[in-house]
Amino acid sequence: MHKLYSNKLVIFSLVLPGLLTFLIAILAPIVLSVYYSLTDYSGLGAANFTGLANYAALVQDEVFWRALLNSVLLALGFICIQHPIAVLVAWKLDRLQGKAEGLLRCIYFLPNVISVAVIAYLWKFIYNPNFGLLQKVLELFGYEGSFNALGSGTAIWAVLVVLVWHGFGWGMLIYYTGIKNIDQVVYEAAALDGATSSQTFFRITLPMMKPVIKYNVTLAIISALKQMETVYLLTNGGPGNETQFMATYLYKQASGSYKYGYGNAISVVFIVICLAATVLMNKLFAERKEAV
Amino acid sequence: MVGQEKKGFRISTLLLIVLAVIQLFPLIWLIDFSLVESDQLFTSGILVWPSPFRWVNYTRALFESNFLHYLFNSILINALAVILVVVFATMASFACTRMRWELSGFVSLLLMMGLMIPIHATLLPNYIIFSKIKILDTILALLIPYVAFSLPQGFFLTSSYMDSVPKELEEATVIDGCGVYRTLMIIVLPMMKASIATVSIMTYLNNWNEFVMAMTFLSSPDWKTLPFAVLEFTGQYSSDYAIQFAVMTLSALPAIVIYILLNKNITKGVAMGAVKG
Repeated sequence: MHKLYSNKLVIFSLVLPGLLTFLIAILAPIVLSVYYSLTDYSGLGAANFTGLANYAALVQDEVFWRALLNSVLLALGFICIQHPIAVLVAWKLDRLQGKAEGLLRCIYFLPNVISVAVIAYLWKFIYNPNFGLLQKVLELFGYEGSFNALGSGTAIWAVLVVLVWHGFGWGMLIYYTGIKNIDQVVYEAAALDGATSSQTFFRITLPMMKPVIKYNVTLAIISALKQMETVYLLTNGGPGNETQFMATYLYKQASGSYKYGYGNAISVVFIVICLAATVLMNKLFAERKEAV
Repeated sequence: MVGQEKKGFRISTLLLIVLAVIQLFPLIWLIDFSLVESDQLFTSGILVWPSPFRWVNYTRALFESNFLHYLFNSILINALAVILVVVFATMASFACTRMRWELSGFVSLLLMMGLMIPIHATLLPNYIIFSKIKILDTILALLIPYVAFSLPQGFFLTSSYMDSVPKELEEATVIDGCGVYRTLMIIVLPMMKASIATVSIMTYLNNWNEFVMAMTFLSSPDWKTLPFAVLEFTGQYSSDYAIQFAVMTLSALPAIVIYILLNKNITKGVAMGAVKG
């Protein structure tokens, strides 16, 4: 039997399809990206080797830093606005029981299953200064001008609102299952000891949720870095470059500005930042666990 | 004490309801104005009672766009992606968790690496690779990256599940003379039902709404997916808002139906992905 289980040919045939897709669609493009990032390739014609020129330019590129800042803002939006509400809602939802619990859970998650294309265009219409939902709500409160949320100055906030709104259900659901996994006996014991509901929340639910919170925060940071689709359709990084994210920016460089080499330099740095963030978060959270 | 509890309950219920309204209202607004005439968007208040209901917006959206064609593409591509991810992930995780070979740890690591790589960083080089191997504008241009980027998660879920399944049963079948492939098909796959369901759902959620890769790698309508119904229609009927709203509602509908049907499984899937992630 051991012979059968260490048959190299069988093993090879089992992992080959997976490895092959990985090689074609993930590893090869990364290698190619590193190569093109060292050239001045425009997408057409010849690629001349330019060394680290693209990377040197990237460090001084204000738009790149702006994109990184926008990711940080989005991560903060997730962690400081979306998550506290999500934890609270998940906790209340768990208490609710019965039909309302399932129905509300369904409603909160619903925007998540809807295509980003629909969501982005829907919010474009909501933000429309002529007939949008936001404009009408503002008029209801006596506002008389016409407000373009996607205009200069407010655009990034308008984009953040959409992203925080769209992702709310996912974050909530993860907290919700975390809370569901807490043993009811713990709550019963707390109730016997006469704990109020806010005491239960802060002294029992939150501490027991630590691993889930850590996981969710990591996920939020990574997804803030990876953001592209919604922003691409809502503003395409504009007005100016106010709402640029790393992914929209690299795409713009390659497809709109014919700086294919430069776009690839952004790709490479983008990958490095994502890897670094993942490793860093894991380290940070693992160390804390040891310290406690 | 009782009064306080009640008040607390009311405030929290209010919070739940307000949030439900915030999450749902934009969608209600969308559906509402997909059933009226375009002009009414300018003239009426926040919501309007459609009289009469203009279903013609929907029939036009259905038949004057590529909606049905794109819907078919979406279903086909996603079904194939789900099947391939499940099969590849189960095969690879069986090899890496059960069989004995020196590189199993290294291969696991490689496959998991994909979890951390941002999809969009591969857009530019993949365009070149796909054009070199001549698969641009074919179904493969979507299928390969969709499978590749869902595989790490699938591999992770199946291999951690396989770790928790006892080996004795399959070992017995192997001794009985079944080969590894047959054991995999007859014994292992049926035992993995729960994790296969999770992998399928996560793969579906990952890919159903994807459009950036489709936008980059496809040029003709042949293999375009559902999101393009929205993207193309908004250009085509730029001032006919009601029809655009109808197309958007229609495009959202299949995912909503699937969600309602698989609600429990999706909740479980997200949870399983989370707890084990």
